[in-house]
Amino acid sequence: MIISADRLTKQFRTLRRKEGPLGAIATLFSRDYEIKDAVRDVSFKLDAGELVGYIGPNGAGKSTTIKMLTGILVPTSGTCTVDGIVPWADRQANGRQIGVVFGQRTQLYWDLPLIESFQLLRAIYNVPAATYERNLREFTELLGLDEFIRTPVRQLSLGQRMRGDFAAAMMHEPKVVFLDEPTIGLDVVAKENIRQFIARVNRDRGTTFILTTHDLADIEKLCARIILIDHGRKLYDGSVETIKGRYGRNRTLTADLNCENCDDVRITVPGANVVSREGPRIVIEFDRDAVRADELVVKLAQHYELRDVTIAEPPLEAIIRDIYQHGLGDGSVAARDGLLVTADVETVS
Amino acid sequence: MASLAPYWRTYAEFWRLNFLTLAEYRANFFVWLVFTLVLHGSAIATIWLTMNRFPIMNGWTWQQVVFLYALYWLASSLNGTLFFTVGDVPWHIREGRFDRFMVRPLDPLFQIISQPGQIWPDELIVATIFFAIVQGLVHLQWTIGVAGLLLGAMVGGAFIDFAIQLAVATLAFWVVRLDTLRWVVMSLETDFTRYPLSIYNRVVRFTLSFIFPFAFINYFPASTLLHKTAQGDYAVNPLLGWLTPLIGALWFTAAYLFWRRGLDHHQSTGS
Ligand SMILES: Nc1ncnc2c1ncn2[C@@H]1O[C@H](COP(=O)(O)OP(=O)(O)OP(=O)(O)O)[C@@H](O)[C@H]1O
Ligand SMILES: [Mg+2]
Repeated sequence: MIISADRLTKQFRTLRRKEGPLGAIATLFSRDYEIKDAVRDVSFKLDAGELVGYIGPNGAGKSTTIKMLTGILVPTSGTCTVDGIVPWADRQANGRQIGVVFGQRTQLYWDLPLIESFQLLRAIYNVPAATYERNLREFTELLGLDEFIRTPVRQLSLGQRMRGDFAAAMMHEPKVVFLDEPTIGLDVVAKENIRQFIARVNRDRGTTFILTTHDLADIEKLCARIILIDHGRKLYDGSVETIKGRYGRNRTLTADLNCENCDDVRITVPGANVVSREGPRIVIEFDRDAVRADELVVKLAQHYELRDVTIAEPPLEAIIRDIYQHGLGDGSVAARDGLLVTADVETVS
Repeated sequence: MASLAPYWRTYAEFWRLNFLTLAEYRANFFVWLVFTLVLHGSAIATIWLTMNRFPIMNGWTWQQVVFLYALYWLASSLNGTLFFTVGDVPWHIREGRFDRFMVRPLDPLFQIISQPGQIWPDELIVATIFFAIVQGLVHLQWTIGVAGLLLGAMVGGAFIDFAIQLAVATLAFWVVRLDTLRWVVMSLETDFTRYPLSIYNRVVRFTLSFIFPFAFINYFPASTLLHKTAQGDYAVNPLLGWLTPLIGALWFTAAYLFWRRGLDHHQSTGS
């Protein structure tokens, strides 16, 4: 086990602004605070070498959690350790073993060529010359840095800068890397490049990653496990497969029929509904547990000639969207199925 | 305590990078230099004009008042060269950039003062030249003791300056905007270090000796160096001039402890 978070809680206290003509003055002397629970009682454990997606809607508390794990914020209550170190109690020791990429904010020096930022970080992290040379060579190749390594950072495109930021965060070979929205604003090619880089470092070096993102393709391509939070509370912690299995029970069957009056096509299987039709193409949605796909196909084939059939499971995106919108309240499918994971149900370490 | 190697390596790297940007920002460099010269030139001209009207100020001649200024400039330009970027802290915090300094393995304050930027020792060089001229005007008699006292005043004074600026910057962990406070402290410093402390009332004297001890940057060392013990109704113990390094160390330690508390109070930003 490399990371352990135990009932982490962070409250932000903000002054409630006063209205009226003397509002600013009144605010100055006010003791009227608004307490905001950004993160509440979040617990989890991570094994070394895991690559975990930390997801949730805007304002869920993802960044706040990352900031506690990296020692930027001191939690209001609860605690955590990263390879045995309490981050905010010993920031310097923690700093040596972690790497951090904030997608929104670069750590590279604006006025300096990329390579000079690496040089400075090499000094800051006291990286031995041989290690530095080896990593620089490897990252340059994996991330294609050589085209712009001598260019001042302010002249780089977002995608180039992100690649530089990744190399910068890994130069000292951290054990754990925190990525807060690392693919934000990137095009598909750049995203793919970054994902491959993460997967490669995770596989070859056994580096542990925690990744927050709003692009669920990042999760599908990289993470076996996700932790889902909303309103500061943990809702789900488990494998991507499980969440798909439990929530993504709907399937869509798309069939191209050989029909004359295609608009008259009716399906009489309970649990299956036609959701769209367009000429000979008909799309049927059905509950995987209520309807067997083979029966559905057989039934269709009895009445119509089938030219083409595909069955698709919903993308993770649709499943997560549904959870964000409808939650995992007590009446939900998840709670009934016993999927609501609470703080004391954990993965083995 | 971890190894010091990364500290001096980073510091060397920082100066290398500063000089690297010098070529690129040559125009900026000259604009700054001219600005500095005009700023200090006009301050010195003001002193000179004032001294024309009051030739002796509590026993201080115009040369001696200019010496006071030269001593202050020496310390403040040393502070400006070594610790200038501490003034950026409130801005780093507000823009969310401060987080980065907290996740690296070196003391965040050290990282702040070794942020590569357009920092060059130009002002320090000008201030040193100016001091070399002015010490001739007051016929300073050089001995080991005088040199030691001057060095102590310069380094200790720089630390006093730094400590006050650090303490003010640290408030940014609690208060979002403190431009006004910074401005007030800065004018307190520049306005009240120009003339002998003995011309001010007791409140000002007390404030500048024990709260914002700017008097230790130039006034007390200069009084000792120029043998000015009795000044009007104000008597100065010549030993006070030697205390500048101690005051610098004390105030810096206090400011640093305050800074450490600030770090634990850091709230970061929402996005
Ligand atoms: N420094 C701060 N001061 C006050 N409130 C804050 C601060 N940082 C975060 N918050 C609040 O805490 C909550 C959680 O914010 P956080 O940044 O952790 O969300 P997030 O999950 O990262 O969201 P996003 O996906 O939008 O980045 C939000 O309601 C936010 O307004
Ligand atoms: Mg966030």
